[in-house]
Amino acid sequence: MDTLLTQILNSLFYASILFLIACGLSLVYGVMRIVNMAHGSLYAVGAYVAAWAVGLVASYLHVSLLLVLLLIGAAAAALAGALLEPTLLRPLYQRPEEYQLLMTFGLLLILEDLMRMVWGPYPLTASALSEFFPSISVLGATYPGYNIFVIVVGGAAAVGLWAFIYRTRFGILLRATSQNMRMASALGVDVKRIYVQAFTIGCLMAGLGGAVVMPLSGAVLGMGVDALILAFVVVVIGGLGSLEGALVGALIVGAVRTLGIMYFAEIELAVLYLIAAVVLFLRPAGLFGRA
Amino acid sequence: MSQALLASGRLLAGWRLAVGIAIALFLVLVPRLLPPFQTLQLSYGLIFAIAALGFNLLLGYTGLLSFGHSAFFGVGAYTAALLVKYMGLSSMEAFVLAGALASAVTAALFGAVCVRYTRIFFSILMLALSQVIWSLAFKLFWVTGGTDGLRVPTPTLLGGSVALGAGEDKLVFLTHRYYYYVLALFLVCVGAMWVIVNSPFGKALQAIRDNETRAEFVGVQVRKYRWIALVVSGTFTGLAGTLWVPLNGLTTPDILYWPFSGKIVFFVVLGGFRTFLGPVLGAVVFNYLETYAIGFTVYWQMVLGVVLVLLVLTMPAGLVGTLAPLFARRRRIA
Amino acid sequence: MPEEVSRRDFLNRLGVTIGAAAASAGSLVVPTPAEAQQSFQAKGKVPTTPYKTGHMTFFTGPAAVLGEPSYKGHILAAEEINAQGGLLGKRKIETVKADEAAGTDANVKELRRMKLSEKIDCFTGVISSGNTPALGPVAEELKTLTLFTDGCTDFLFEKAVPNPHYVFRVTNIQSADGVMAAIAASMAWPKVTKIAHIHPDYSYGRNAFDHFNIAMKKLSGNIQVVSEAWPKLGTTEFTAHITKTISAKPDLLFTSVWGGDYIALYKQALRYDLFKKMKVATTLAFGVVPQAIGKDHPAGVVAGVHANYHFLYPAGNRWLPNAQFVKKYYDRWKEYPTFESEGAYTALHMLRVAVEKANQLVGGWPDDQAIIAMLEGLMYAAPAGYTYIRPDNHQGYKDALTGFLVNSPDYAFPVWDLKRVITVPIRSITAPPGYPKGEPTTTYKWIEETWPKSA
Repeated sequence: MDTLLTQILNSLFYASILFLIACGLSLVYGVMRIVNMAHGSLYAVGAYVAAWAVGLVASYLHVSLLLVLLLIGAAAAALAGALLEPTLLRPLYQRPEEYQLLMTFGLLLILEDLMRMVWGPYPLTASALSEFFPSISVLGATYPGYNIFVIVVGGAAAVGLWAFIYRTRFGILLRATSQNMRMASALGVDVKRIYVQAFTIGCLMAGLGGAVVMPLSGAVLGMGVDALILAFVVVVIGGLGSLEGALVGALIVGAVRTLGIMYFAEIELAVLYLIAAVVLFLRPAGLFGRA
Repeated sequence: MSQALLASGRLLAGWRLAVGIAIALFLVLVPRLLPPFQTLQLSYGLIFAIAALGFNLLLGYTGLLSFGHSAFFGVGAYTAALLVKYMGLSSMEAFVLAGALASAVTAALFGAVCVRYTRIFFSILMLALSQVIWSLAFKLFWVTGGTDGLRVPTPTLLGGSVALGAGEDKLVFLTHRYYYYVLALFLVCVGAMWVIVNSPFGKALQAIRDNETRAEFVGVQVRKYRWIALVVSGTFTGLAGTLWVPLNGLTTPDILYWPFSGKIVFFVVLGGFRTFLGPVLGAVVFNYLETYAIGFTVYWQMVLGVVLVLLVLTMPAGLVGTLAPLFARRRRIA
Repeated sequence: MPEEVSRRDFLNRLGVTIGAAAASAGSLVVPTPAEAQQSFQAKGKVPTTPYKTGHMTFFTGPAAVLGEPSYKGHILAAEEINAQGGLLGKRKIETVKADEAAGTDANVKELRRMKLSEKIDCFTGVISSGNTPALGPVAEELKTLTLFTDGCTDFLFEKAVPNPHYVFRVTNIQSADGVMAAIAASMAWPKVTKIAHIHPDYSYGRNAFDHFNIAMKKLSGNIQVVSEAWPKLGTTEFTAHITKTISAKPDLLFTSVWGGDYIALYKQALRYDLFKKMKVATTLAFGVVPQAIGKDHPAGVVAGVHANYHFLYPAGNRWLPNAQFVKKYYDRWKEYPTFESEGAYTALHMLRVAVEKANQLVGGWPDDQAIIAMLEGLMYAAPAGYTYIRPDNHQGYKDALTGFLVNSPDYAFPVWDLKRVITVPIRSITAPPGYPKGEPTTTYKWIEETWPKSA
């Protein structure tokens, strides 16, 4: 019983992180029709900047204030996004999508090496943050308080993003652009601005994901590439371009991974790809996608 | 007027033929002209060129971007390795035939799932399927050796008549006999691909690429043609994987992982996918670029990334696509 | 039917020693490498052209945490030798470096480029056990003198290069990792029977799993594997693996997870109180730069260093080569060395000694054949202790070791408990020369067939 509950919480925890990464990937595709292969690297940037910022001031500030510093990681990724979109992606919108894919693949290669250049080859950690939350006891099982915090952040991000897109004027413009860019443009929507904003929000989410996971797993070289592949699996299952899809996909992958580890340890990884392949075979556009 | 045009056309054909013969002659003389390392590099380049030619049948001629071609390359390579492990074979012809067959079968299976879709969905579906093959090679430890991979000793060529002598330098074997073997198969592949893209089948693929609906309307069975294109494409890439194994001496899951697919895309875009020979040049140039970037700096990924970004921004038509018109214009002026 | 012996007799037979006693046994004569080097006089005429080495290791990706110390060890040795004028006092060592993270295909090409185009004289380094079996045969083809400093899979000299001529490897063999962890665990916690495993899902993890189990079976009798988890290498999210492990209620968790992965694993395990619920043994977790592990790590776990080297052992006052090495390394790089640093450092110094010995025999600059003849059977007083190169398979042999973790006020990170370091002569835990080959490794087969069962 306690194991079951813990594993459910674990699945939710993992799903929260996956959602934070995947929602940005999906948002950017939904609005701009670009699959951003550098998205995982922006997640890593969030983790590195947050770890660096926390390490810089950890001895002067109270831990609760350090939590605020996690936002710096998210902000750094957002800033990177706001710079990259107008300079490197905007010139490509008139071209076939191969070029956009290749551009972001090139960015992935550059960002991976930049992180090593700036922060060196060893992992960065800042575990004071995760220690700050005491482990709590649920039905006889010990569960880390920080993981609950991450679940809350993931849930809040999902609700916030939903409200933002379905309840604000900006959200309406975003959805209009996503459905028909030319029509929106003809009706006076500043598509350029929408694009840069959507891309920035996507990167912000990825950076936030990296920042909140950092106190538990550290900032490590190569973390971005791994995250990208998992986020791909999530959006492939959920449907490219759909926020609901990203959420459901994240929950499915979180649960399947936990089940896989629990009962099919030998083929943990293969189970994920297999599920993705099966969903693709039955519904190639994903559960919530439109082909 | 028409006579002048005809004359210039003949001139162009003659010029092309002359350049073609010069290049072929150069390739034949490479082991005598260049140091062994350069011959090896060129062997790699030619092998990657075969993979790129196959890949470009999909991208350049059918309009499908595959992000899963590492699967075919890897299947070609692992087929040879498994023939060594389980059947004790050492004949390169056996490897080539089995590798081509196995990658064709893999491509046929992939195609059965993928050709219904185009654009990004096709790319991602191919990526997902290639990752399934990767995870199998990675996981089936007792069959594939996991990350240790499988060794492939020096094969015998031409039905066993050409082999590495006892106590003989393998480098000599690789840079002479094996180089010519690769070169011969490379020329056969270029010729075969030329015939394919200029056949009615090739024209139909281009019609699909340019306008799917119209192609369907004039009676092209779009899905079937795409499926055949994928099988042919996968077979070429698989053949390249088989040829690559003796050079590397070992096959590991690295070549099945998705970044290797990215590399193949890189070859083709570097050379220019709107041209027939662009992928060939791109593969050869990329091989040099990567080797020297790795030798020159630990930040080789950044070098490759910057090249890719600059390429996309400034030379979207690739090397051949950008340079060829320049030559053509100069000739016209002359 | 294997005989049955008491556990104590069994351990004695293996030659297991514990704590500081081990160091004094081996240190009756304390050599001083730096001084020995100064007094060396080269015979004959030696050219002054630089001696080029190619050092390949991980500079990018998650394994850079092992690769960077390897490069630093290599450079330190090269600088020491160059300060004496170079090899034989004449030939300065120049190093070409290459990133192993480029993948096997690119690594094979890079080795060929180094030899054929850069004209390196000697190839060193290589971390991954997936890469030495690829590069070993190529080095033989190219006739390149090669000193691997890790990439320690049994597969290299059992299958990939069964008759090495140019290729050597100075660090311990992979199978020793699992066996050493089993010896340490069975000595520290004799009552352990229920084992949980968490291993990275690639050859290294499989190898650790197999060898730990077979050795543990022999040492502790009836053991039972109650849980297995196989996260992919590069995983940094272990909550589900941890919960599974805890729910199986094992006595002992055995793990070969390393690098950034292990840092994530232990930090998350702490929050689940895993360390309070079971004993923990590791193989490679403490092989990365020591400062990477925080003081929040609980004491008492088996802190594996790939059965190779920890910078505190042999303790300074008993074994001068280590004291000198640690000091020089710290002065140069402002951090403490790892087994990778020691391996790369020792490899280059063993090369130096072999060159000097060959020079004394033949005069002038010795050719590769002469250097190889001197490397075969060479015994060298390395920082980790005596390192001996077995002539038949070119594998470096030294005592395999592991230790237990303590938090000491002298260091900003956890270190080894010097009173409890366990050392075993490597010949006691690897198959002897000529033993019939087997699966998964010859050593596995040898343990299964010849070790007695502890009662």
